Amino acid sequence: MRILIVEDEALLQKQLADALRTAGYAVDTASNGVDAHHLGDSASYDAIVLDLGLPQLDGISVLKKWRAAGRAMPVLILTARDGWHEKVAGIDAGADDYLTKPFHMEELLARLRALIRRTGGHASAELLCGPLTLDTRNSRASVNGQALTLTSHEYRVLAYLMHHREQVISRSDLIEHIYAQDFDRDSNTVEVFIGRLRKKLPPGLIETVRGLGYRLTAGG
Amino acid sequence: MSVPAPHFPLAARGSLRIRLLAGTLFWIAASIAVAAWGLSSLFREHVATQFHAELKTHLNQLTAHLAVDGEEQATLSVPLSDPRLSLPYSGLYWQVDALAAEGDSAQARAARAGLLRSRSLWDSVLAVPPDAPADGEIHQHRVAGPGGGWLGMVERVVRIDEGSGTAAGAAGAKPAARAFRLIIAADETLMLEPISRFNGALWLALGILAAGLVIAALVQVIVGLAPLRSLRAALGRVRKGDAQRLEGQFPAEITPLVDEFNTVLVQNAEVIERARTQAGNLAHALKTPLSVLANAASGKDNELARLVVGQVDTAKRQVDYHLSRAHVAATLRVAGARTPLRPALEALLRTMRRIHAERQLELLLHPIAENLAFRGEEQDLQEMLGNLLDNACKWASRHVEVAARAESGQLLITIEDDGQGIAAADRHAVLRRGVRADQQVPGSGLGLSIVDELAQLYGGELSLADSPLGGLRVVLKLPAVA
Repeated sequence: MRILIVEDEALLQKQLADALRTAGYAVDTASNGVDAHHLGDSASYDAIVLDLGLPQLDGISVLKKWRAAGRAMPVLILTARDGWHEKVAGIDAGADDYLTKPFHMEELLARLRALIRRTGGHASAELLCGPLTLDTRNSRASVNGQALTLTSHEYRVLAYLMHHREQVISRSDLIEHIYAQDFDRDSNTVEVFIGRLRKKLPPGLIETVRGLGYRLTAGG
Repeated sequence: MSVPAPHFPLAARGSLRIRLLAGTLFWIAASIAVAAWGLSSLFREHVATQFHAELKTHLNQLTAHLAVDGEEQATLSVPLSDPRLSLPYSGLYWQVDALAAEGDSAQARAARAGLLRSRSLWDSVLAVPPDAPADGEIHQHRVAGPGGGWLGMVERVVRIDEGSGTAAGAAGAKPAARAFRLIIAADETLMLEPISRFNGALWLALGILAAGLVIAALVQVIVGLAPLRSLRAALGRVRKGDAQRLEGQFPAEITPLVDEFNTVLVQNAEVIERARTQAGNLAHALKTPLSVLANAASGKDNELARLVVGQVDTAKRQVDYHLSRAHVAATLRVAGARTPLRPALEALLRTMRRIHAERQLELLLHPIAENLAFRGEEQDLQEMLGNLLDNACKWASRHVEVAARAESGQLLITIEDDGQGIAAADRHAVLRRGVRADQQVPGSGLGLSIVDELAQLYGGELSLADSPLGGLRVVLKLPAVA
């Protein structure tokens, strides 16, 4: 799961990034509207946290440009502007949720989880796939109630596959969603993570679809 | 710096119409009076001149016909022609007095008065004041007439040489010449009657003229001040919120006033917009550091962290409250605001569905008449309805219903939920600042009290009741635009 944080206040940006990384997300950051628009337009994000008062290009304009270009990723507006006319304007510009500062980090994380889950069409915070359970609230995976010990990258791969279970996910798609922008990417490492996950999971849960990618399935 | 208001008399200060009418009516009255006096005295003078000219004609005739007969008695050679002179007390008289010679007794003098008289005098004698016009002079007097009225009279003195038998006004008469005082008198009513007839006609004509002028002045004032009435109507529309600016065609004298007023309206709106922007900027400037503080302290279990979290929460509520107050204070000075209700509600419900998507609520908007509109700012309407809807969505277990209708110039907006509601005893407290019915649901305390305050400033009100759905029913009453 990869998330873009757009926030011009450096300290708050760092706090957000730290909290989201701790929660198991790959995090990119942008400090102004122009960079934010470029990142959101060119990379694949599972969710975006967007401040409205931004240098160079304001948040609402950035959001409108994304939506006009057909970018459909969920966007959560995080702003100090708490007037209802501003919330209406934000939602009507295409935002999926709106949180006002000061906020509780737990609430932000919960809302992001819910946004990502709803985008994948899942109603519950607990994702199930056969014997495998992924609790997005505490970033824990378990098989038949037995907790799994996963590294952060392994968790991201598994979480992405769980959110898109029964779908074929290409290797490049997986790379897009588990690595932050500045990370040194190597497609071979994806195979390494998949291999490690297969060892920790019951056999047959992760299928390799030759030439296309991977599929997490309970009906293996 | 305050400038004392100029002090006008009450009536003049009270009504432009009275001020204009008073001036006009004064001038009408003054000019009518001057015209009446002027015309009347001109005519009187003219009639008096004619009257005396006629008397002089008779005097000349009398002078021409006066003769002294052989017994040295004055006689008229030919009777005067005017028949009135023969008719007793007709009003036109003549009389010839012999002037007293030196040394005449008073008795003789009396006998000489009324030596010859017109028949019209009958047996009376005109008592003329003593006078001695020089030769050739004609003097005028007023004397009491035989009937008691006043007579206008002309006289001259004629000297006739004895024996010559003819009258001669020549100067340097010989001492032997006898002097006579020739008098023509006529009743002044002969002169006054046409004057009063003329004055009657004059007053009638001037009265009609004055009435016409007064009517014209009234019409002028009413027509002239009509633009002020339409200006007042335009202002009324702005105040009611039907118009954003003064609209309509106004005369050149009023147009600058209208333009200035419209400029003031625009500036007013700009000032408020600026104030709001600044309030928003202040919120942003304060809340981001508050977020940083809260995040830095959260998750750490020590006294300092707990203090920071608690104080940040207090600070946030204070900022929210005072920003809302500042917003409210800036709100009502914008004239002419009108906000259609339905689009505002629909936009807010769209927003609620997103923000509370996780709760999977059923938000129902009952049909709302297209023309319902709130007399006030769109942002304020959204603020009130947004807080109420947000509250309902937080508390509802499944259903939120919204309805609105107009009733005697007021909008009645009803928002109901099927949550646990608020106990009747707690409802009053909930509307007070910052009191939360349940600390578990964040932000719900400030919402209702701010809505209440905003609604009251608009002359509306917020009331809480039980809903048939099971939860709270909130009725927001606001001024409608007719």
